[in-house]
Amino acid sequence: MSHSAQISLARLEEIVGAAHVLTAPEALALRQVDGILPSAVVQPADAAQIAEVLRFADAEKLAVIPCGGCTKLGIGSPPSRYDIALDLLRMNRVLAYDPQDLTLGVEPGMRIADLLRVLAEQKQFLPLVVSFLERATIGGIVAANSSSPLRQAYGGVRDFCLGMEFVTGEGMPAKSGGRVVKNVTGYDLHKLLIGSLGTLGVITRVNFRTFPLLPAQRTFVAGFSNAEAAFRFCGAITQSPLSPQMVEIANPGAADVIFSGDARARVEPRSWSVIVSAAGHPEVVDRYARELGGMAVAAGAEELAPLGDSEAPDILARIREFTRLILDAVPSAAIFRIGVLPTAMAGLLGELHALAAQGSVDMVALTRASGILYAALLPKEGDAPATASLTKAVQEVFRVCGKSEINASPMLERCPPEVKLAAGGVWGAPRPDFALMRRVKNSFDPNGVLSPGRFAGGL
Amino acid sequence: MNPQLIRDLVALLGSTAVLSQPEDLMLYEYDGSVELGSPKCIVFPSSAREVSEIVRLANRYEVPLLGRGAGTGLSGGAIARDGGIVVVFSRMNRILEIDAANLRAVVQPGVVNLDLSRAVDHLGLYFAPDPSSQKACTIGGNVSENSGGPHTLAYGVTTNHVTGLELVLPDGEIVRTGGKNLETSGYDLNGLFVGSEGTLALVTEITVRLTRKAEAVKTLLAVYDTIDDTTESVFDITVRAITPAACEMLDGFTLRAVEDYVHAGFPKDCAAVLLIEVEGLTEAVEAQAAAIMEVCQLHRAREVRVARDDRERALLWKGRKEAFGALGRISPMYYVQDGVIPRTRLPETLRRIAEIAQKYDLQIGNIFHAGDGNLHPLILFDERDRAQFARVVQAGGEIMRHCVEVGGALTGEHGIGMEKNELMSLIFSPDDLALMARVRAAFNPAGRLNPGKVLPLGKGCGEIRIPHIPAPATTSA
Repeated sequence: MSHSAQISLARLEEIVGAAHVLTAPEALALRQVDGILPSAVVQPADAAQIAEVLRFADAEKLAVIPCGGCTKLGIGSPPSRYDIALDLLRMNRVLAYDPQDLTLGVEPGMRIADLLRVLAEQKQFLPLVVSFLERATIGGIVAANSSSPLRQAYGGVRDFCLGMEFVTGEGMPAKSGGRVVKNVTGYDLHKLLIGSLGTLGVITRVNFRTFPLLPAQRTFVAGFSNAEAAFRFCGAITQSPLSPQMVEIANPGAADVIFSGDARARVEPRSWSVIVSAAGHPEVVDRYARELGGMAVAAGAEELAPLGDSEAPDILARIREFTRLILDAVPSAAIFRIGVLPTAMAGLLGELHALAAQGSVDMVALTRASGILYAALLPKEGDAPATASLTKAVQEVFRVCGKSEINASPMLERCPPEVKLAAGGVWGAPRPDFALMRRVKNSFDPNGVLSPGRFAGGL
Repeated sequence: MNPQLIRDLVALLGSTAVLSQPEDLMLYEYDGSVELGSPKCIVFPSSAREVSEIVRLANRYEVPLLGRGAGTGLSGGAIARDGGIVVVFSRMNRILEIDAANLRAVVQPGVVNLDLSRAVDHLGLYFAPDPSSQKACTIGGNVSENSGGPHTLAYGVTTNHVTGLELVLPDGEIVRTGGKNLETSGYDLNGLFVGSEGTLALVTEITVRLTRKAEAVKTLLAVYDTIDDTTESVFDITVRAITPAACEMLDGFTLRAVEDYVHAGFPKDCAAVLLIEVEGLTEAVEAQAAAIMEVCQLHRAREVRVARDDRERALLWKGRKEAFGALGRISPMYYVQDGVIPRTRLPETLRRIAEIAQKYDLQIGNIFHAGDGNLHPLILFDERDRAQFARVVQAGGEIMRHCVEVGGALTGEHGIGMEKNELMSLIFSPDDLALMARVRAAFNPAGRLNPGKVLPLGKGCGEIRIPHIPAPATTSA
């Protein structure tokens, strides 16, 4: 470690206490980002300590990456610099929960699974059932704008996040929004932090509205012989008065993951599956059972099968954990998250399958009918070295998404660092408003202290 | 204003798209708030390119400018506080695309809110944000103010329904953020621009989400003999996690004024009513309506009436949406606030407002979005009575401070504008405000776009701004 880094260690220990500055190799390795190790892990207890750490880092020109459960450090471009991992796990409290008002304020280091347990005691929940559920923290979920299957019914983080407190790159504590369910007081700065991947501020508190658990829930599965038929069924649901909690379309590979838990299994290699969940009063759920069946058959399914109480939790958990299951089975997988309109989904999947059929990769795709498609490219088994073929496939996906009739917004969420570099980035073509993003970055973190280089365009 | 600028604007837009005579300018001095400001010139662009050229001219001549839709705003957002050019979007009023399969529409900013819903009605769709001024207000204005409405309780405010924008920045550059897709990777700039009250950019095109109309709707009117029973019912509906599509409260004073004007069928001898709407699948609506009735009866509602048909339902809503106009008949002037409180604090808050009314010897009506805690206390006054006017300012300040004390917000849907900008420090620290100012400066560095709005100028000290010669009361909210 260099001389300056030794000085910084002493100062950091002064701020958070010696016990909360870690330099053991395993502590650093856990927080590696694309193979780059920090010099120290710093564990602040509160926003004031975070502000001091960031002011110090700003003065010393050190780069800081916030982290918690370390489940999303692989998302984004490789950082251009990385000195301090700011571990927020000590900040894991519920700061305010008013179940009667259905509002909540929580620290960033709280794990979502723990929070959902707290809410369940009051028969409430947050519609953030995300991958790595047991490890992922609120701060990471918000900063990565993680998507949940429940987005279909409840929207994304931006739709139920009421306000935030955070510390800017210069170490200035700030907030926006508030704690009430309706509020237009001041600029919605917190919306900028959602999905900002730790490049604008360190989140110190998030306020949410919570939702009541519904009395009954049932999940149904329909199998189709091709993508067009599966999306015909989804289109019919959109055109109907029904508003399900979740509509997920699994290509044959994804169906294997979801129904068997094995990313490499080939149970029903030709079947496209649509999984639909309905919730509400029992009479409402019965109505879904009646009407979804007719719609599925009309679209070409043989039948619509309700999942039994014994199998439903496992299958729903595998849909939720799709990303983790893929990465566990195939650590070198490249997983895209693609914003795409419903009418372009079948076309995009057709292109992706054509791409996979050229032979270099397998393609597993899980699509949220509301407009997000997860496509995992898996290098063929025994195909080593896979980097070249995977890189080529990744570049093809970006190209296909840019076709005018598809016009999708791809982001390569997970992929080996060497492919990130070889493929020319994970963020896709620069957005037309990139210059505005730079202005935002300069307002929050003018000196590039926070997660430098991880965001689109090197922000 | 420099006559050469007027000549340049006429050369750019044609003589029919530029107004600069005093009698024409007067029509643009006010909006739906009690604020006033005198512009020097009004322009009516037809395209984003023209808007861009107007902005470049304003920069060349160093004059301020701001956008304006229908002028129904309630916080002075569309008022030329420092004079300059008002860019009125009434000629940019086309619906450019309806994409029913993807539940999207692309519109110009001057499209009237209700006109979009009417245009997609035959497809079984509508645009969910429904401000009470929706017959007049424009979607561009909705975007600037992040407007709400009664049904935002279930469906969210404007920001939840916008996926893309085309903007003209204060330097004249035309830029697009977002698009039709649900998400694009990168910062959520739509989230920043929606609700920025016209201080960061002029909006020239909007891509919105459309919503499918519910299969069944039930509208209930619960009638009470005390305010406490009414607010306790709202509290209990929230606690039981029943989410109606709308839950509006009208107090007795207000509804008597409304009834004399609209004849909606509100009982004139009660203390308050709740107007509650449930929507969704037929089965869900039945169950929700039954649960709500049970709560209302538990809290001693004198009567819970279900609207028998669409006509009766429309009449009840007419009573709600035209209430502010009705109050204009019984008072020379009113001042409406927009504070928000946690919903569980509703009973004590209404008691507090009644105490404040008594303390300052004022008449305060309450007609508001009870389900999401968004208050609209209406303080009635006569601007010729200077002493009374001073009490109005004090009472308004006390209500606002109460909202802040119980953990609420200054505005739920009307915006900060030039009315509440000096109150921002009640909620936000100097650092919070410094960051907001920095973000504004990143987009609007010369401060030429809509000056004097949202952020405090530091002139007043935590005071609401109610001008001394208010404009006449208008219908809204």
